[in-house]
Amino acid sequence: MQCALARDGRILVAPLTIFLLAMLGLPLVVDLIYSVSAVEFATILSPEFVGLANYASALSSESFWRAAWFSLRFGLLCATAQVLIGLFLAIFLEPLLARRPWLMAFLMLPMMVAPALVGLMYRLVLHEFVGVVPWFMFTYVGDSPSFLGPDNAFKTLVVVEVLQWTPFALLILYSAYVSIPADVREAAAIDGAGTWRRLVSIDLPLMGPAIGATFFIRFIDSFRVFDNVYTLTGAGAGGSTATMSIWVYEAFFKSGDIGRAVAASMLLLAASWLVLSVVHRLSQRRAGASA
Amino acid sequence: MTIARLASALLAACALSSAAQAEVTVLGWPGGPEESALREAANAYNAKGDVAEADKVELIFFNRDGFWDKLQTDLAAGSGEFDLNLLATYAIGRYAPFMEPVMLPDTAPQVFGEKVLTTMQFDGAQYGVPTDLSLHFMYFRKDLIDQLLSDPAWQERYKEISAEKLGQAMTPVRPDQWTWNDYQATTLFFTKSVNPDSPTRYGTVLQMKNLLFNIMVWHSTVRSNGGDWMDEEGNITVDSAAFREGLELYKNLYDEGTTPKDSLTYEFAEANAAFGSGQVATMLQWNAAFPDLNDPAKAPTVAGKIGTVAPPAGEAGRFTHIHGLGLGLNKAAQNKEGAVKFLNWLATAEAMQVYAKAGGAPALTAQALQPIAEQRPDLAQLGDYAGQYGFVMNGGASAKALSVYELQAEQFTGYWAGQKSLDEALAATAEGMAGLLKK
Repeated sequence: MQCALARDGRILVAPLTIFLLAMLGLPLVVDLIYSVSAVEFATILSPEFVGLANYASALSSESFWRAAWFSLRFGLLCATAQVLIGLFLAIFLEPLLARRPWLMAFLMLPMMVAPALVGLMYRLVLHEFVGVVPWFMFTYVGDSPSFLGPDNAFKTLVVVEVLQWTPFALLILYSAYVSIPADVREAAAIDGAGTWRRLVSIDLPLMGPAIGATFFIRFIDSFRVFDNVYTLTGAGAGGSTATMSIWVYEAFFKSGDIGRAVAASMLLLAASWLVLSVVHRLSQRRAGASA
Repeated sequence: MTIARLASALLAACALSSAAQAEVTVLGWPGGPEESALREAANAYNAKGDVAEADKVELIFFNRDGFWDKLQTDLAAGSGEFDLNLLATYAIGRYAPFMEPVMLPDTAPQVFGEKVLTTMQFDGAQYGVPTDLSLHFMYFRKDLIDQLLSDPAWQERYKEISAEKLGQAMTPVRPDQWTWNDYQATTLFFTKSVNPDSPTRYGTVLQMKNLLFNIMVWHSTVRSNGGDWMDEEGNITVDSAAFREGLELYKNLYDEGTTPKDSLTYEFAEANAAFGSGQVATMLQWNAAFPDLNDPAKAPTVAGKIGTVAPPAGEAGRFTHIHGLGLGLNKAAQNKEGAVKFLNWLATAEAMQVYAKAGGAPALTAQALQPIAEQRPDLAQLGDYAGQYGFVMNGGASAKALSVYELQAEQFTGYWAGQKSLDEALAATAEGMAGLLKK
């Protein structure tokens, strides 16, 4: 009986295992081989082993670290802004959304547009001669800043990303907020806790896991951003708006430096694994503490 | 019953698939006049009585964005989904390992001329038929330049501005006689922040985005002062007076505000939008921009007021970057015989006249162009400029040419944006190019 159960279990798990091996394991092995090889498109079937040279080349590249710094700053800033604005909107709009829940569908609209289209849209909106924003600036202020120039590109990209993805934070945080039992708040109110006190001592602690998860998801998404940045500014003047994804893409396709590009992506994979391990350990510790 | 239906569907799919394989499939350049022209040419070819059913041409188009990257991936993977594919002078060395050289008919030089045929050659072998030629014009507003050349008050102001900004009191000259200094003085004159009486906001619009095609446009400044990527021995020669002058010219124009502030994110479309708004007096731009800018429905403010000349002259003369777009034979083609037949037809005057009439921009000899000269007068200028002023940088058709353009785009835009010094940008470019172009 025991043996038959184990066999059935293996049979049931087999398709998923084969799928994962084919879709994740195989590309990972190929990536590992390419990351330690000198390989170009012309020699893609006959890579030449070069040890860790590609890793050393990526790590010693100034542009790699500049892209990593850009992505880190971009990810942290966007995730923070999205969570703060999303949290504010979730609490501020709760009475309205409770009466008219269909409004949430409208608030979700920016998230449903493809990021590459958002980039193209803002390229038009911010263009000095055909864009709406510069037109208003010239008409009412007499001048318009260079929204995508070297001095403002980072800020503009952050604003575009935040405008598109804050609805995601709003959706999760609103769900977390309304799921807090009303009697907890009522009890606190009976005990004399004011609005601010209830927010700080009841709502925010109970929403903590949702806030953390939202921040983490938005950070990952913003860190690996490609589409809207690429369509808005590309890699930027002198590579000033190159994110890690753009750096890898350009090394792979534009420079044909496949080994270096793959080595950089393996480094990113290692960094992601490290971050995930830390987050996992922290969440386990928190779960242990609550139990 | 269900199984029988499934079997019939599979058989039908197999039949369709083999029919598709029997055709000549062509992967073309999507979304522009090249697509319309290729469609017309393919229709004309398919309508010919002597073309076998199995050799009829089927066209494939996908998006322009990332076209070359996708093509590279397909070719490297040995894809046989297309028999003929697009080819460009600057990418020919990169794709040559995955393509087969072709032997064009003996009459091809009489149709295109030898110089134009070389835009589709690599290592001495012909890899394709040159269907379109791209080069640069200096676009200018005829109405504004005419007034500048005839209005004494404007000329006096022009003198004052050139004396103040360029250190010499200059007199306006006709655009076909411009040096880069004349161009600079003109752009300063037509810039409102320099000359508050200027009828336009900016004197010019530069395409300075970190993009390889923008470097091709800028290269005219370098070559006109005798610059090149490499010398005959293969030594990198970018750290030269010609490169420095060209880079400083763009930097000065940007810093003086003669071009829009967002120029560092501008490419073809943005520059056209700026010029089409009527707020810009001059523009160094690809020849392909002319039809739309001169169309009253698309650019009502400037249509009919645009003049075009070759880019300004430097010490070595007047030059324009040229490159050809064409069609070549995929090494993994499934219908090579049929594909070669279509290529051979494409290299005839008859085919190119159909192609040109439908909006394509082939560079043809006077003899081949003559029957359609009235419908496409611009093609005479195209062929003329290509022959007189056209150049390809030494190494510009090599396997790493695209990477060199990318490298220069990153380094030079860094200098224009003020993120690195001229010396740093040139040193990094020279070092990178030495690695890319080493024998």
